[in-house]
Amino acid sequence: MEKSIESIWKEGFLKKDELVAPKVNDLYNQKSIDIVSKFKRMYKINVIGIVIFSLIILPVSYIVKIPYMGILMFLLFNTIIIVNRKIIYALNKIDNSLNSYEYLISFKNWTDKLIDTNTKFSRFLYPYMFLTMFFGFWCGEIGGDVPGDIVVKGFVSEFPNTPLVFGFPLIFLGIMLLAMLFLALVGARIGKWDFNVGYGRIMRRLKTMIKDMEELKQ
Amino acid sequence: MSNDFYTTSILPHSGIIIKICRAYTDTQEDFEDYYQEVCLQIWKSKDRFREESKWSTWVYRLTLNCCLTLIKKKKNNRQNVASDFEPIEIGEENKVFENESLNLLYAAIRQLSEIDRAIILLYLEEKTNEIIADIIGTSKNNISVRIIRIKERLKKLLDGKIN
Repeated sequence: MEKSIESIWKEGFLKKDELVAPKVNDLYNQKSIDIVSKFKRMYKINVIGIVIFSLIILPVSYIVKIPYMGILMFLLFNTIIIVNRKIIYALNKIDNSLNSYEYLISFKNWTDKLIDTNTKFSRFLYPYMFLTMFFGFWCGEIGGDVPGDIVVKGFVSEFPNTPLVFGFPLIFLGIMLLAMLFLALVGARIGKWDFNVGYGRIMRRLKTMIKDMEELKQ
Repeated sequence: MSNDFYTTSILPHSGIIIKICRAYTDTQEDFEDYYQEVCLQIWKSKDRFREESKWSTWVYRLTLNCCLTLIKKKKNNRQNVASDFEPIEIGEENKVFENESLNLLYAAIRQLSEIDRAIILLYLEEKTNEIIADIIGTSKNNISVRIIRIKERLKKLLDGKIN
Protein backbone atom coordinates (compact mmCIF):
# COMPACT_ATOMS: atom_id res chain seq x y z
CA MET A 1 0.00 0.00 0.00
CA GLU A 2 1.27 3.47 -0.87
CA LYS A 3 2.11 5.84 1.92
CA SER A 4 0.13 9.06 2.26
CA ILE A 5 1.97 12.34 1.76
CA GLU A 6 1.25 13.15 5.40
CA SER A 7 3.06 10.05 6.62
CA ILE A 8 6.01 10.60 4.24
CA TRP A 9 6.31 14.10 5.64
CA LYS A 10 6.13 13.02 9.28
CA GLU A 11 8.46 10.07 8.92
CA GLY A 12 10.88 12.03 6.76
CA PHE A 13 11.39 14.66 9.39
CA LEU A 14 11.64 12.29 12.35
CA LYS A 15 15.41 12.49 12.07
CA LYS A 16 16.69 15.79 13.44
CA ASP A 17 19.57 15.75 10.91
CA GLU A 18 17.17 16.56 8.11
CA LEU A 19 16.62 20.02 9.54
CA VAL A 20 20.08 21.37 10.16
CA ALA A 21 20.06 25.12 9.64
CA PRO A 22 22.82 26.52 7.46
CA LYS A 23 25.17 29.11 8.87
CA VAL A 24 23.96 32.67 8.55
CA ASN A 25 27.07 34.58 7.63
CA ASP A 26 27.50 35.07 3.94
CA LEU A 27 24.55 37.17 2.87
CA TYR A 28 26.05 40.54 3.54
CA ASN A 29 29.22 39.48 1.72
CA GLN A 30 27.22 38.83 -1.41
CA LYS A 31 25.17 41.99 -1.01
CA SER A 32 28.19 44.18 -0.43
CA ILE A 33 29.95 42.82 -3.53
CA ASP A 34 26.73 43.31 -5.52
CA ILE A 35 26.31 46.94 -4.52
CA VAL A 36 29.94 47.81 -5.32
CA SER A 37 29.89 46.09 -8.71
CA LYS A 38 26.63 47.86 -9.54
CA PHE A 39 28.22 51.19 -8.71
CA LYS A 40 31.36 50.34 -10.73
CA ARG A 41 29.23 49.39 -13.72
CA MET A 42 27.21 52.60 -13.55
CA TYR A 43 30.30 54.70 -13.10
CA LYS A 44 32.12 53.09 -16.04
CA ILE A 45 29.08 53.57 -18.28
CA ASN A 46 29.04 57.21 -17.23
CA VAL A 47 32.72 57.69 -18.13
CA ILE A 48 32.27 55.88 -21.48
CA GLY A 49 29.34 58.25 -22.15
CA ILE A 50 31.64 61.24 -21.57
CA VAL A 51 34.30 59.75 -23.90
CA ILE A 52 31.72 59.25 -26.66
CA PHE A 53 30.28 62.74 -26.14
CA SER A 54 33.74 64.36 -26.25
CA LEU A 55 34.48 62.58 -29.54
CA ILE A 56 31.16 63.66 -31.04
CA ILE A 57 31.26 67.28 -29.94
CA LEU A 58 34.52 68.06 -31.77
CA PRO A 59 33.40 67.33 -35.37
CA VAL A 60 29.87 68.56 -34.68
CA SER A 61 31.15 71.92 -33.42
CA TYR A 62 33.15 72.32 -36.67
CA ILE A 63 30.11 71.46 -38.76
CA VAL A 64 27.85 73.95 -36.96
CA LYS A 65 30.70 76.49 -37.03
CA ILE A 66 31.29 76.92 -33.32
CA PRO A 67 34.74 75.27 -33.27
CA TYR A 68 36.07 77.14 -30.21
CA MET A 69 33.31 75.72 -28.09
CA GLY A 70 34.00 72.28 -29.50
CA ILE A 71 37.72 72.43 -28.73
CA LEU A 72 37.24 73.81 -25.23
CA MET A 73 34.52 71.26 -24.45
CA PHE A 74 36.72 68.48 -25.82
CA LEU A 75 39.53 69.59 -23.52
CA LEU A 76 37.15 69.80 -20.57
CA PHE A 77 35.68 66.33 -21.13
CA ASN A 78 39.12 64.82 -21.55
CA THR A 79 40.23 66.38 -18.28
CA ILE A 80 37.16 64.80 -16.66
CA ILE A 81 38.07 61.44 -18.23
CA ILE A 82 41.68 61.62 -16.94
CA VAL A 83 40.50 62.54 -13.43
CA ASN A 84 37.95 59.72 -13.50
CA ARG A 85 40.51 57.17 -14.67
CA LYS A 86 42.53 57.93 -11.57
CA ILE A 87 39.41 57.66 -9.42
CA ILE A 88 38.46 54.28 -10.95
CA TYR A 89 42.00 53.04 -10.40
CA ALA A 90 41.61 53.78 -6.68
CA LEU A 91 38.25 51.97 -6.66
CA ASN A 92 39.76 48.87 -8.24
CA LYS A 93 42.40 48.85 -5.53
CA ILE A 94 39.83 48.21 -2.79
CA ASP A 95 40.60 44.78 -1.43
CA ASN A 96 37.53 42.57 -1.81
CA SER A 97 38.99 39.96 0.48
CA LEU A 98 38.20 42.23 3.42
CA ASN A 99 35.22 41.33 5.54
CA SER A 100 31.91 42.81 4.30
CA TYR A 101 31.84 45.63 6.80
CA GLU A 102 35.40 46.76 6.11
CA TYR A 103 34.83 46.36 2.38
CA LEU A 104 31.75 48.58 2.49
CA ILE A 105 33.51 51.12 4.69
CA SER A 106 36.45 51.24 2.23
CA PHE A 107 33.97 51.71 -0.57
CA LYS A 108 32.15 54.43 1.41
CA ASN A 109 35.49 56.21 1.99
CA TRP A 110 36.18 56.01 -1.70
CA THR A 111 32.77 57.50 -2.56
CA ASP A 112 33.35 60.26 0.01
CA LYS A 113 36.60 61.12 -1.76
CA LEU A 114 34.83 60.97 -5.10
CA ILE A 115 32.12 63.36 -3.87
CA ASP A 116 34.78 65.66 -2.45
CA THR A 117 36.75 65.70 -5.74
CA ASN A 118 33.53 66.13 -7.68
CA THR A 119 32.48 69.07 -5.48
CA LYS A 120 35.84 70.82 -5.85
CA PHE A 121 35.90 70.16 -9.56
CA SER A 122 32.33 71.46 -10.00
CA ARG A 123 33.38 74.90 -8.71
CA PHE A 124 35.51 75.26 -11.86
CA LEU A 125 33.51 73.04 -14.17
CA TYR A 126 30.30 75.06 -14.41
CA PRO A 127 31.94 78.51 -14.82
CA TYR A 128 34.23 76.95 -17.44
CA MET A 129 31.28 75.42 -19.28
CA PHE A 130 29.49 78.74 -19.22
CA LEU A 131 32.55 80.53 -20.57
CA THR A 132 33.09 77.89 -23.23
CA MET A 133 29.52 78.04 -24.44
CA PHE A 134 29.45 81.81 -24.34
CA PHE A 135 32.67 82.21 -26.35
CA GLY A 136 31.71 79.36 -28.61
CA PHE A 137 28.64 81.21 -29.78
CA TRP A 138 30.25 84.65 -29.49
CA CYS A 139 33.10 83.73 -31.83
CA GLY A 140 31.09 81.33 -33.99
CA GLU A 141 29.54 82.02 -37.34
CA ILE A 142 25.96 82.68 -38.43
CA GLY A 143 25.46 83.21 -42.14
CA GLY A 144 29.06 84.40 -42.59
CA ASP A 145 28.86 86.89 -39.70
CA VAL A 146 30.40 86.57 -36.26
CA PRO A 147 27.58 86.89 -33.66
CA GLY A 148 29.88 88.65 -31.16
CA ASP A 149 30.76 91.38 -33.68
CA ILE A 150 27.10 91.96 -34.49
CA VAL A 151 26.21 92.32 -30.81
CA VAL A 152 29.17 94.66 -30.07
CA LYS A 153 28.42 96.84 -33.11
CA GLY A 154 24.76 97.11 -32.15
CA PHE A 155 25.62 97.88 -28.52
CA VAL A 156 28.29 100.47 -29.35
CA SER A 157 26.01 102.26 -31.81
CA GLU A 158 23.34 102.44 -29.07
CA PHE A 159 25.78 103.43 -26.29
CA PRO A 160 28.75 105.10 -28.03
CA ASN A 161 30.47 106.02 -24.74
CA THR A 162 30.62 102.46 -23.44
CA PRO A 163 34.19 101.50 -22.44
CA LEU A 164 35.64 98.50 -24.32
CA VAL A 165 38.24 96.00 -23.08
CA PHE A 166 39.92 94.19 -26.00
CA GLY A 167 36.91 95.17 -28.11
CA PHE A 168 34.50 93.78 -25.53
CA PRO A 169 31.98 96.05 -23.73
CA LEU A 170 33.01 96.42 -20.08
CA ILE A 171 29.46 95.94 -18.87
CA PHE A 172 29.29 92.56 -20.65
CA LEU A 173 32.53 91.59 -19.00
CA GLY A 174 31.07 92.56 -15.63
CA ILE A 175 27.90 90.52 -16.23
CA MET A 176 29.96 87.55 -17.36
CA LEU A 177 32.21 87.70 -14.32
CA LEU A 178 29.18 87.90 -12.04
CA ALA A 179 27.60 84.90 -13.77
CA MET A 180 30.83 82.92 -13.44
CA LEU A 181 31.17 83.90 -9.80
CA PHE A 182 27.61 82.78 -9.18
CA LEU A 183 28.27 79.44 -10.93
CA ALA A 184 31.47 78.98 -8.94
CA LEU A 185 29.49 79.52 -5.73
CA VAL A 186 26.64 77.16 -6.61
CA GLY A 187 28.86 74.77 -8.62
CA ALA A 188 29.48 72.54 -5.62
CA ARG A 189 25.75 72.23 -5.00
CA ILE A 190 25.04 71.52 -8.67
CA GLY A 191 27.79 68.87 -8.57
CA LYS A 192 26.26 67.20 -5.52
CA TRP A 193 22.80 67.34 -7.05
CA ASP A 194 24.14 65.86 -10.28
CA PHE A 195 25.84 63.05 -8.35
CA ASN A 196 22.65 62.36 -6.40
CA VAL A 197 20.57 62.12 -9.57
CA GLY A 198 22.86 59.39 -10.87
CA TYR A 199 23.96 57.58 -7.75
CA GLY A 200 21.65 58.77 -4.96
CA ARG A 201 19.68 55.53 -4.79
CA ILE A 202 22.74 53.31 -4.59
CA MET A 203 24.34 55.61 -1.99
CA ARG A 204 21.22 55.41 0.20
CA ARG A 205 21.34 51.60 -0.07
CA LEU A 206 24.98 51.65 0.90
CA LYS A 207 24.25 53.79 3.97
CA THR A 208 21.39 51.49 5.02
CA MET A 209 23.61 48.42 4.65
CA ILE A 210 26.40 49.95 6.71
CA LYS A 211 23.86 50.98 9.37
CA ASP A 212 22.43 47.45 9.45
CA MET A 213 25.88 45.96 9.76
CA GLU A 214 26.84 48.31 12.54
CA GLU A 215 23.68 47.28 14.36
CA LEU A 216 24.59 43.69 13.64
CA LYS A 217 28.04 44.13 15.12
CA GLN A 218 26.65 45.43 18.41
CA MET B 1 21.67 40.26 13.44
CA SER B 2 22.53 39.49 17.01
CA ASN B 3 23.21 35.92 18.03
CA ASP B 4 20.63 36.28 20.79
CA PHE B 5 17.88 37.19 18.39
CA TYR B 6 18.82 34.34 16.05
CA THR B 7 18.95 31.81 18.86
CA THR B 8 15.78 32.84 20.65
CA SER B 9 13.51 34.02 17.87
CA ILE B 10 14.59 32.34 14.65
CA LEU B 11 16.24 29.05 15.52
CA PRO B 12 13.14 27.58 17.25
CA HIS B 13 11.34 28.08 13.91
CA SER B 14 14.23 27.10 11.69
CA GLY B 15 12.52 23.77 10.92
CA ILE B 16 9.65 25.37 9.06
CA ILE B 17 11.95 27.91 7.43
CA ILE B 18 14.13 25.06 6.14
CA LYS B 19 11.12 23.09 4.93
CA ILE B 20 9.72 26.09 3.06
CA CYS B 21 13.07 27.15 1.58
CA ARG B 22 13.72 23.59 0.37
CA ALA B 23 10.42 23.62 -1.50
CA TYR B 24 11.40 26.73 -3.43
CA THR B 25 14.98 25.82 -4.30
CA ASP B 26 16.63 23.14 -6.39
CA THR B 27 20.19 23.30 -5.14
CA GLN B 28 21.94 23.43 -1.78
CA GLU B 29 23.52 26.76 -2.73
CA ASP B 30 20.15 28.36 -3.48
CA PHE B 31 18.69 26.85 -0.35
CA GLU B 32 21.40 28.43 1.82
CA ASP B 33 20.91 31.79 0.10
CA TYR B 34 17.16 31.65 0.66
CA TYR B 35 17.55 30.58 4.27
CA GLN B 36 19.94 33.44 5.01
CA GLU B 37 17.80 35.97 3.21
CA VAL B 38 14.73 34.82 5.17
CA CYS B 39 16.61 35.12 8.48
CA LEU B 40 17.82 38.56 7.52
CA GLN B 41 14.32 39.67 6.52
CA ILE B 42 12.89 38.39 9.82
CA TRP B 43 15.53 40.30 11.72
CA LYS B 44 15.02 43.46 9.67
CA SER B 45 11.23 43.30 9.93
CA LYS B 46 11.02 42.28 13.60
CA ASP B 47 9.90 45.76 14.67
CA ARG B 48 6.86 45.45 12.43
CA PHE B 49 5.58 42.42 14.33
CA ARG B 50 2.37 43.69 15.98
CA GLU B 51 1.42 40.62 18.01
CA GLU B 52 -1.85 40.39 16.08
CA SER B 53 -0.84 36.83 15.29
CA LYS B 54 1.55 34.37 16.88
CA TRP B 55 5.26 34.94 16.26
CA SER B 56 5.40 31.54 14.49
CA THR B 57 2.55 32.47 12.13
CA TRP B 58 4.29 35.73 11.37
CA VAL B 59 7.51 33.84 10.65
CA TYR B 60 5.68 31.47 8.24
CA ARG B 61 4.14 34.42 6.44
CA LEU B 62 7.40 36.27 6.14
CA THR B 63 9.28 33.16 5.02
CA LEU B 64 6.72 32.43 2.31
CA ASN B 65 6.66 36.02 1.09
CA CYS B 66 10.42 36.13 1.04
CA CYS B 67 10.68 32.85 -0.91
CA LEU B 68 8.01 33.99 -3.36
CA THR B 69 9.90 37.22 -3.98
CA LEU B 70 13.23 35.45 -4.38
CA ILE B 71 11.87 32.85 -6.75
CA LYS B 72 10.32 35.58 -8.92
CA LYS B 73 13.61 37.44 -9.02
CA LYS B 74 15.64 34.33 -9.66
CA LYS B 75 14.01 32.78 -12.64
CA ASN B 76 11.60 35.49 -13.72
CA ASN B 77 9.03 32.76 -13.54
CA ARG B 78 10.56 30.16 -15.77
CA GLN B 79 7.99 27.54 -16.60
CA ASN B 80 7.86 25.85 -13.24
CA VAL B 81 4.39 24.41 -13.27
CA ALA B 82 4.97 21.08 -14.87
CA SER B 83 2.27 18.85 -16.21
CA ASP B 84 1.10 15.85 -14.23
CA PHE B 85 2.62 13.59 -16.86
CA GLU B 86 6.07 15.06 -16.57
CA PRO B 87 8.23 12.59 -14.65
CA ILE B 88 9.72 13.72 -11.35
CA GLU B 89 13.44 14.04 -11.74
CA ILE B 90 15.78 14.07 -8.79
CA GLY B 91 19.33 15.08 -9.54
CA GLU B 92 22.18 14.38 -7.15
CA GLU B 93 21.95 17.98 -5.91
CA ASN B 94 18.30 17.45 -4.95
CA LYS B 95 18.99 14.41 -2.79
CA VAL B 96 19.24 16.52 0.29
CA PHE B 97 17.40 14.23 2.67
CA GLU B 98 18.43 10.75 3.71
CA ASN B 99 14.86 9.64 3.34
CA GLU B 100 14.29 8.79 -0.32
CA SER B 101 10.51 9.19 -0.09
CA LEU B 102 10.94 12.67 1.31
CA ASN B 103 13.22 13.58 -1.61
CA LEU B 104 10.54 12.36 -4.00
CA LEU B 105 7.81 14.23 -2.16
CA TYR B 106 9.85 17.43 -2.31
CA ALA B 107 10.51 16.91 -6.02
CA ALA B 108 6.76 16.59 -6.53
CA ILE B 109 6.04 19.67 -4.39
CA ARG B 110 8.54 21.66 -6.48
CA GLN B 111 6.41 20.91 -9.53
CA LEU B 112 3.45 22.74 -8.03
CA SER B 113 2.79 26.43 -8.50
CA GLU B 114 4.38 28.74 -5.93
CA ILE B 115 1.12 29.30 -4.04
CA ASP B 116 0.18 25.62 -4.05
CA ARG B 117 3.60 24.84 -2.59
CA ALA B 118 2.95 27.30 0.23
CA ILE B 119 -0.47 25.81 0.96
CA ILE B 120 0.65 22.19 1.01
CA LEU B 121 3.66 22.97 3.19
CA LEU B 122 1.46 24.64 5.77
CA TYR B 123 -1.03 21.80 5.54
CA LEU B 124 1.70 19.22 6.08
CA GLU B 125 2.85 21.24 9.07
CA GLU B 126 -0.64 20.64 10.45
CA LYS B 127 -1.71 24.24 10.33
CA THR B 128 -5.48 24.65 10.38
CA ASN B 129 -7.24 25.81 7.24
CA GLU B 130 -8.05 29.01 9.08
CA ILE B 131 -4.38 29.77 9.75
CA ILE B 132 -3.38 28.81 6.19
CA ALA B 133 -6.12 31.09 4.83
CA ASP B 134 -4.87 33.88 7.06
CA ILE B 135 -1.26 33.41 5.95
CA ILE B 136 -2.08 33.11 2.25
CA GLY B 137 -4.77 35.78 2.33
CA THR B 138 -7.79 33.85 1.08
CA SER B 139 -10.88 32.16 2.51
CA LYS B 140 -10.97 28.97 4.56
CA ASN B 141 -13.22 27.30 1.98
CA ASN B 142 -10.86 28.10 -0.85
CA ILE B 143 -8.06 26.49 1.09
CA SER B 144 -10.05 23.30 1.75
CA VAL B 145 -10.86 22.88 -1.94
CA ARG B 146 -7.31 23.72 -2.98
CA ILE B 147 -5.77 21.23 -0.55
CA ILE B 148 -7.89 18.40 -1.99
CA ARG B 149 -6.74 19.31 -5.52
CA ILE B 150 -3.10 19.61 -4.53
CA LYS B 151 -3.16 16.25 -2.79
CA GLU B 152 -4.68 14.64 -5.86
CA ARG B 153 -1.99 16.20 -8.01
CA LEU B 154 0.78 15.05 -5.70
CA LYS B 155 -0.71 11.57 -5.65
CA LYS B 156 -0.59 11.47 -9.45
CA LEU B 157 2.97 12.75 -9.51
CA LEU B 158 4.09 10.16 -6.97
CA ASP B 159 2.02 7.34 -8.37
CA GLY B 160 3.97 4.08 -8.20
CA LYS B 161 7.14 5.73 -6.97
CA ILE B 162 6.69 5.32 -3.24
CA ASN B 163 5.78 2.12 -1.49
